[in-house]
Amino acid sequence: MTIENQRPPAVLIDQVSKWYGQVIGINDLSLAIDGGVTGVLGPNGAGKSTLFKLMMGRIRPNQGSVRLFGVDPWANTSPYRRVGYVSESEKLYEWMTALDFVSTLARLHGMTREEANDRSAHVLDFVGLSEVMHKELGKFSKGMRQRVKIAHALVHDPELIILDEPLHGCDPLARTSIMSVIREMGEQGKTILVSSHILEEIERITEQIVILHNGRLLAIGNLHAIRGLLDKHPHRILINCEDPRSLAGLFVSEGPVFGVRFPREGQLEIQTNNLSAAHSILPSIVVKSNQKITSIENPDDNLESLLGYLIKEGS
Amino acid sequence: MDSKGRSLSETVWTRMDRKAGAIIELTMRQLRHRISTWVVLGVGVLLMALLLTFYIDSVRESFEPIDNDGDSEDNDGDGYPLGQERKYGTWDWDSAEYPGSSIYIPESDIDWNDAIRTESGNKSWTGRAFFEASWIDYDYTGDWYDSYVDWNPNQEGTPELADCSDWEYEDIISIWSDACDLGDGDGDGLTTYFVAGKWRGEGFATVPEEYYLEWGYWTEEVYVEPEPPENYIDEDGIDCFEGLDLREEDWEGNRVECPSEQRLSGSHGFDNDGDCLSSNEGAGDDENRNGIKCDVQWISSNGVVIMIDRDDLVDEDPDEQEYIGELIHRTFVIGVGKMAFVILLGLFIPLFLSLGLVRDETENGTLHLLLSKPIHRAEFIIYRLAGYLAISGSYVIALSLVVGLASSILGPGDQIIRLGDLPVWLGIGVATTMVLVAYGSMFNAMGLISPKYGVYLCIVFGIWEFMMGSFSIINPNWTVASVSISHWALQMIDATVLLAWPDTIQWAAMDQAFEFESGLSAFWQPPVHTLGTSSAGIALLNSFIVLSLVSITWIFIAKSVFSRREIL
Repeated sequence: MTIENQRPPAVLIDQVSKWYGQVIGINDLSLAIDGGVTGVLGPNGAGKSTLFKLMMGRIRPNQGSVRLFGVDPWANTSPYRRVGYVSESEKLYEWMTALDFVSTLARLHGMTREEANDRSAHVLDFVGLSEVMHKELGKFSKGMRQRVKIAHALVHDPELIILDEPLHGCDPLARTSIMSVIREMGEQGKTILVSSHILEEIERITEQIVILHNGRLLAIGNLHAIRGLLDKHPHRILINCEDPRSLAGLFVSEGPVFGVRFPREGQLEIQTNNLSAAHSILPSIVVKSNQKITSIENPDDNLESLLGYLIKEGS
Repeated sequence: MDSKGRSLSETVWTRMDRKAGAIIELTMRQLRHRISTWVVLGVGVLLMALLLTFYIDSVRESFEPIDNDGDSEDNDGDGYPLGQERKYGTWDWDSAEYPGSSIYIPESDIDWNDAIRTESGNKSWTGRAFFEASWIDYDYTGDWYDSYVDWNPNQEGTPELADCSDWEYEDIISIWSDACDLGDGDGDGLTTYFVAGKWRGEGFATVPEEYYLEWGYWTEEVYVEPEPPENYIDEDGIDCFEGLDLREEDWEGNRVECPSEQRLSGSHGFDNDGDCLSSNEGAGDDENRNGIKCDVQWISSNGVVIMIDRDDLVDEDPDEQEYIGELIHRTFVIGVGKMAFVILLGLFIPLFLSLGLVRDETENGTLHLLLSKPIHRAEFIIYRLAGYLAISGSYVIALSLVVGLASSILGPGDQIIRLGDLPVWLGIGVATTMVLVAYGSMFNAMGLISPKYGVYLCIVFGIWEFMMGSFSIINPNWTVASVSISHWALQMIDATVLLAWPDTIQWAAMDQAFEFESGLSAFWQPPVHTLGTSSAGIALLNSFIVLSLVSITWIFIAKSVFSRREIL
């Protein structure tokens, strides 16, 4: 058996606690991540950035150990060769052009100037900035700046990519393009960690999530599996349609539904204990009802209600 | 290719190289984008331009010949300068006494107790006498204090004096600087006067008891051409001789240029204007007590003139053109090197450029970008400092060479450029660069130790360094001053000066001995930290090592602080 076969996971967090004076950032967290795109979810102040800073060796855990590819990132810079990190900090060197910026940072990986320029042009193209790469960063919009940051994190073709709130403050167009970039990287087989405090954002990127709350690990696993846990929790589905009443009849007769309401004209609210079952029969009911459905919403399927439920369960 | 099949360009060292290159380049570009960089570097250039204009001014002024011993002055206004009067043994505070003027030669006298108390003839008299005059020189006059008798002659040519024929004897005797008329008592047609003071005339003098009379004659006056005062400026230069028997007849043939390659010792100097030899009533002077009158004693050690001890009035008025130009030039080079480069630029450039090298990245939030790359924090500090040094060091060395070139062209000497100066200027540039490294690493560490109050710490350190630097210029032997970076950098300049211009000790000794007052000794003294060898090379190496150790220590302190710091 060779050492390669015992390859350590990309990220290994072992009983880590980190506090800032009286404030607890991370509380006894254990986590191992290797491969795929993982969303790190949690409201503001849940400890997402603290977790990432621990991984990047910016801060030192008070208890427990952090390992990137089996190496302590606080003591040793060698894992950074294999990691790309997009911090939440917005600051860039405003007087540099995008190409300059990315290639200067690329050279810190030991690339020659030519290599760095080639790679930088390539990743800037990958994030969709090839047309503006000779413009100064000071003239860039927020979404463009986020993409420059992603480009700098990708320039050395890392195995692990950590993105701290990459969609924060971006307009919808930029969000879409950044999300597709992240998805594409995931398809390339990289280990990706993306943090967000908005569930829908993460949902569009990945199904594998970690939920943090008050520095603790609240849940880990597939988003839908976690959602499955919510089945006992009464859930609402809002359907906008032409004839809510006939559709309500169909649901009550066939589906796992314990109540219906009509909050507005042309809108049906279904209350269910088994969200996935309700969703699974939803298409057949829609077909059966033979009417035009304009939208289906899950108002309880957001982070806040998920967290609220998980915390209640936990207590 | 190495054993693992990687090409040579992929070793750890080349990777480090590339990282260093990237950070250095980034740092330089960041510094270039800051206004404060341009302000401090621009002020440095302006300062140097100002100093150069002062230099041009001082060079022109000092080349005017100076009469160091003041013997070109004509104090009594008789047209003869002091130097010429000294040569002829005349007094320069009496306009009646000048080279070639007639001199009174005393012949004889009648003392208060001599038995024979009469004398006759045509003489110049001094004293008291009853004088039966056949002729009196009414023009024999002088200053009132010299007691010349005023005869007050009328139009007929007879003196009009007080008639004292019926006076008491005591009253007659008591007059002075005057004469009175006693009339023609014996009826021979000649009037008898009582005269007291100085007078000239022919007649018969009878000296009263208890009084005296002296007489003599004045020599013929000879015309001596007054020499122009310029002859007594720079007339007694510094003379050095090849052999020690300098009192030979052909001493002129033995003369050599003093600041020559050959290190002089022993008795030198020649009293060109003769004022030493004629002093002490011709006995000369041996102030330096070496047994030779009117000479200059040169004392050498290890082939370098370290002291010059001269007798008074020897080599006391040297040619400024020949000496002070060189002295002022060296004083300028050393003064600018120490004050402007090491103390001013050395302190202010790091204060503006190095304090925030790492701290500002933390405050701006751009540090996250850099530290997410595989680069150690200590490496980061060193590369940042290297970037700062690339700008400030090349600036300082370029500036020192430009100022050096300008002053080498303007400076004294026959050659177009004083090539011998350039090593000194390079030494100044290198010493200042060492200061930039030391202060840079120190101020950078201060910024890291206390991002908020680091600047105040730096200012306190800066004041200390400024004071210790100034003290080190005045007295490099003061031990307390060696607890400063500037002291060691100034030592580097002292050592470089001695290496590039080995005869600077001799120049300093000449400056003091011959009173050029160029200020060289105020700005330069031989290096102190020679470990007892008095070798400039060892002092230079010693200072270099001390400054390097100080810099490494501060880099290490910065590294320790930075490595432990959590970046939020």
